Amino acid sequence: MPARSLKVTINGQAQPVEDIPEELMMLDYLHEYRNLTGTRFGCGQGMCRACTVIVDKPDGSSEEVRTCITGAHYFDGKKIRTVEGHAQRDEEGHIKTLSTVQQQFLEHFSFQCSYCAPGFVNAATVLVERLQRQPIARSQLENTISEALESHICRCTGYVRYFEAVRDAVLKTPGTTKEAS
Amino acid sequence: MNYRSILVTALALGLSTTSVWSATSDNSTLEQGQYLVRAADCAACHTKEGGTPYAGGAPIATPFGTVYGTNIRPDKEYGIGDYSADEFYHVLTEGELPDGTQLYPAMPYTAYHSIARSDSDAMYAYLMSLKPLNIEAPETDLSWPFSMRWTLNFWNLMFAGESPGDAKDQSEQWQRGRYMVDVLGHCGECHTPRNALGALERDNHLQGGVIAGYEAPSLTPDELADRGWTPEDLQTFLREGMSDQGTMFSEMYTVFHHSSRYLRDEDLKAMSLYLMGENPPDARIVDAGNRAGADSPGRRHYLNVCAGCHGAQGEGVPHVAVAMEGNTTLRLDDGRNLVKVIYDGIGAQKFSGFERMQAMPGFADKLSSAEIAELVNYLRQTWGGLDATIDAAAVDELTAKNE
Ligand code: FES
Ligand code: FES
Repeated sequence: MPARSLKVTINGQAQPVEDIPEELMMLDYLHEYRNLTGTRFGCGQGMCRACTVIVDKPDGSSEEVRTCITGAHYFDGKKIRTVEGHAQRDEEGHIKTLSTVQQQFLEHFSFQCSYCAPGFVNAATVLVERLQRQPIARSQLENTISEALESHICRCTGYVRYFEAVRDAVLKTPGTTKEAS
Repeated sequence: MNYRSILVTALALGLSTTSVWSATSDNSTLEQGQYLVRAADCAACHTKEGGTPYAGGAPIATPFGTVYGTNIRPDKEYGIGDYSADEFYHVLTEGELPDGTQLYPAMPYTAYHSIARSDSDAMYAYLMSLKPLNIEAPETDLSWPFSMRWTLNFWNLMFAGESPGDAKDQSEQWQRGRYMVDVLGHCGECHTPRNALGALERDNHLQGGVIAGYEAPSLTPDELADRGWTPEDLQTFLREGMSDQGTMFSEMYTVFHHSSRYLRDEDLKAMSLYLMGENPPDARIVDAGNRAGADSPGRRHYLNVCAGCHGAQGEGVPHVAVAMEGNTTLRLDDGRNLVKVIYDGIGAQKFSGFERMQAMPGFADKLSSAEIAELVNYLRQTWGGLDATIDAAAVDELTAKNE
């Protein structure tokens, strides 16, 4: 399989530049080359979004991208975050604090098998960050959350607790909502 | 007096009422009527999304404004409840309502002009057997001067009412095919180019047109074969909505759901015989081994955003994503459809049986126009055997008309 060099920043760290097969999907790169196995392989067809990671764009916005259907080289030169990149860690790599989204997922016990959770956490993080840039009326919050997360599939159907966790994560993040529209 | 004797009396008096007609139509007439109404794809325009079939309200976008399909259930106020079979036949074949109002040619009366009277009667019987629903279609809203219905008389004088020649030397199957394709199926309405006044260019019959921003490709035998079609594949495509050449999308997806999937095998055979001829040209095979630019930017975009579903070698994934190899869209001279599906994506699709195609994402915000052009050229060269003629400006032009 022909290979090409890939330069990517993951969770704030520039990764070693090395030759990566051209046809490799990003999910396999994360698992096999970077040992970042928190990104889950679900359907492999772009349907369930368990494999979602965050791409940080140069303009300061962030977006979700599915890694099962996207080649590793699509991310060449890009900055991405995986579910391993949300918590704050000390020098030794031990977790100090979880992100607000992660904390709310824990507090609402929003897991059953947790297979879909990394995708949901990433999607919720993208949503919170978007609302920080573009706050919405409090009254639109439920709809906005549904729209942002509805394409993520949870086989254990834990949607209510997920959505509640995301709502609280938004409400606990200053500047995401305003009273009137 | 019971219902039966009312009927008998009404018949004896020669009264024509809705219930009399439907009550006197036997099951085989109704079945035949339903088949013909489906073959004529009446539902596509006379059923709004999520609405009751034939109760009207579907918006039909034309370059001149939006026309709404009317209620064709037997409602006396808004439907065809007061029409006689004669009047129904007249509307169908001349585009003129019983009160003299001329219909806009969005209703394909120019194609239906040659509908057999017996077929019209069966269609009428079937529609009259449906439950009347008192639903009014929204007002049609056209730009001036097209808003003036009297202008249609001139339009009709110029463009309507031409019957196809009798083509006596052709086989019965061919004649049936022509009737299914040109008359009932009114395929030419989309697959024939139109002039500035919205009329079909008859000299370019079935040579391809543009509808809702997408190309309805040419259906001439040589061009079909050039894109890899055989008569058998055409039949499968119409029956199943998918074949080795890809799946139906855009307007044709609706045609499949409302119409072509119900057609009988003998009619599908007749249609493909009419379209491709008694001696169809050989389908052209593109040698995918002759891959353009294995190291091209287009190949890299393909591997980055397409190969996950369509396969690194374009082989596709059965029941999930179509193959690039043999795909008809990659082989169209005009790159319009390819550019647009990449830009817009295609929603999840449901076909016959358990067959489904997952949604294809659009790449409007993932790839630049130059990248789309590189990708499209790579696809066209590799699996279409075409030249790399698409540039970023062409992509911009096609996608700007996206609304
Ligand atoms: S694993 Fe990627 S969307 Fe399901
Ligand atoms: S918690 Fe099991 S798939 Fe969502």
